[in-house]
Amino acid sequence: MTTNRSWSSGILRTEDWWAVWIGLGVYAASLLSLAGIDLVGWMARPRAWEWTDVTGTFAWSQFFAPAGAEYAGWHALASFFTTYAAFTALFAVGARFLQLDVRRFVLAFTALFLVTWAAWIAGNELHLTMVDATVNGRNRYREAGLSWGLQLGEGAPYLLALIAGLAIGNFAKGLAARLAEAARPEWYIKTAIVFLGVNLGSQTMEASSFAVELILTGAAATFVAYLFFWPIVYAAARRLFGFKRDVAAVLASGISVCGASAAIATAGAIRAKPIIPVTVSMIVVIFAMIELIVLPGLYTAVAPDQPIVNGAALGMTVKTDGADAAAGALLDELMIARNLQLTGEQWQQGWILSASLLTKIWIDVFIGVWAFVLAILWIRNVEKRDGAVSVGPMEIWFRFPKFVLGYFVAWAVFFGIATTWPALAPTLDEGTAVVQSPMRTMLFMMTFVAMGTMTDFSKLKGMGKIALLYGLALVIVIAPIAYGVAYLFHRGLAPPLVAP
Amino acid sequence: MTAVKLVLEFEGDRWRARGDGVEVAHRELRGLETLIEASVAGERPVYVELAFDMISLPRWLHQYQAHYCNYTLRVPPRGAPA
Repeated sequence: MTTNRSWSSGILRTEDWWAVWIGLGVYAASLLSLAGIDLVGWMARPRAWEWTDVTGTFAWSQFFAPAGAEYAGWHALASFFTTYAAFTALFAVGARFLQLDVRRFVLAFTALFLVTWAAWIAGNELHLTMVDATVNGRNRYREAGLSWGLQLGEGAPYLLALIAGLAIGNFAKGLAARLAEAARPEWYIKTAIVFLGVNLGSQTMEASSFAVELILTGAAATFVAYLFFWPIVYAAARRLFGFKRDVAAVLASGISVCGASAAIATAGAIRAKPIIPVTVSMIVVIFAMIELIVLPGLYTAVAPDQPIVNGAALGMTVKTDGADAAAGALLDELMIARNLQLTGEQWQQGWILSASLLTKIWIDVFIGVWAFVLAILWIRNVEKRDGAVSVGPMEIWFRFPKFVLGYFVAWAVFFGIATTWPALAPTLDEGTAVVQSPMRTMLFMMTFVAMGTMTDFSKLKGMGKIALLYGLALVIVIAPIAYGVAYLFHRGLAPPLVAP
Repeated sequence: MTAVKLVLEFEGDRWRARGDGVEVAHRELRGLETLIEASVAGERPVYVELAFDMISLPRWLHQYQAHYCNYTLRVPPRGAPA
C-alpha cells in the first residue's frame, strides 16, 4: 500500500525523494575536497578522439580517463568500472526502497549504462563535435586536420543517445520491455538537476545578477503557463473537441502546464478516474519526445542570437522534466557550437540550460498550489458539494516536487560556503567540478537513452482527437505564446563568455 | 466528531474503499461515497478520510507524480436532511 497521510510519507519510497538522497549524498562526498579528500575523482570522463588515432595502437585511455587529478594514475577501465559500480549501487539501493525488482533493475540499468557510454564515447569523435572557428587566435578544427565535420559541439553525444534510445523503443520493443524496470528518465534527470544546483551555485558566484534575473523571470513565466495556456486549451477541448469537463481539465494541464505530472495532479484534484491521466500521460510522453527532437534544432537555426530567449521558451513549451532538461541541455550545446561558428565567441556552458530549467522548476513548484485551488473550485462550482467534501492544504506538500528542495539545497550550500569563506571558493569549485560536469552529464545521457526506450511512436495510433488537440495547441497556442513571453523578458541576453 | 480512515483504490473499472471495517466498491466515485455513507453513518457526523493508494496507478507513472488525491467526506448523522 502506498498512501500519503503525513508530511514524511514517501520520504524513502518515491523516485523524487531518492533523487534528493542520491544527489545530495554524492554532492556531500565531493565537499570533502575542502578537507583535501577526493572521494569522487574516480568518475570516468570521455575524451575527444579522432577515428584515425585509434586505427593503430589501441588504448582505452584514448576514449575516457578518470576526471579527478588524484586518480590520474588509475587505468581507464578501473575508472570506468568504479563509475559503473558506484552508480549502479546507489540506484539499486533506491530501487530496493522503491520496491522494484532489484535484479531486473540492475540488469536493465547495466544495459542502459552501456548504451549511454557507447553513445557518449562515439559522440566525442572530432568529426561530430569539433567546430570550425578561430578562438583567441587558435582554430582547433584546422589544427586537428579535419576536412569535414558536423560541428555539433557537445550536443553530438546527446543526439546519439537519443537515437540509440529511440531505436530500442521503436525497433526492439522486446528489449525495451526488458529495460522498463530501469527506464526511469525522471529519476535520472531529477538527480542530475540536484547536481545542477551545484552548477547554479557556481554560476551565481560568477554572474549573480544574471542568475537572479533568470530565477525571477522564470517565476513570472509560471503565470503565463497557468493563466493563459490552461484556460485556452481547456476551452478548446470543451468547445471545439467536445470533451467532458474532467477529460478537458486533465488534458489542459497535461498539454499546457507540465505534462504527465500536471495531468496526474489535476486528475487527482478533481477525483477523475485514473484511466484519464494514464491515457493523457502516454500521449504527453510521446509529444514531449517530438518537442525534444524538433525544438532545440529549430530554435538554434531560427534564432542563434537569442540564447536565453530560446532556453526560457523551451522551459514553457516542452513537457515533463526529463524532456525539458534534456532539450535544454541539447539546446545549450547546439547554441554554443552555432555561436562559435558564427562569431568565434564561446559562451559558457549551462546558462541556456539554466534558463530552460528554472522556468520549468517554477511551473513544477506551483502545480501543487494549482491542483489545490482547482480541487476547491471543482467541489464548489462543478460538483456543488461544498461542505460534504473537503481537501486539506497538505495536498500541496504531497504534490510538491521534492527534487527542487535538493536543487536549492545544493545551490545554497555552495553559495553559503563560497560567500562565507571566499578563500575556499576555488577549492570548492574544483572539488565539485566532477559532480557539476561528468556526473551530471552522464545522468543527462542516461535520461536521453531511457526516454527513447520508453517512447513508442506507434502508440499515437488510435489517439485521434487527443493527439490532434495536443498538436494544434502546441503549434498554435503554446509554442508561439511561450516564445513571445520569453522574448519579452530575455531578448538580447546572452551567457557570459568563456575566459580566454 | 468521529473519524474513519479509508484507503481508496481503483481496480480496472471500479473504485474500492476499505479500512476500519469498511469495504465497498462501485463503478462511480459518487456511488462509492453513497455506499460509504450507508456503512458509517451514525448518531453524529462522521468524517471519512480517504487516501488514494498509488499502487492503483501504473508503476511507470509514479516517477512523474507520487500523489493522486486525499480528501475528506463528511457523512451527516443518520436521518439528517442531506
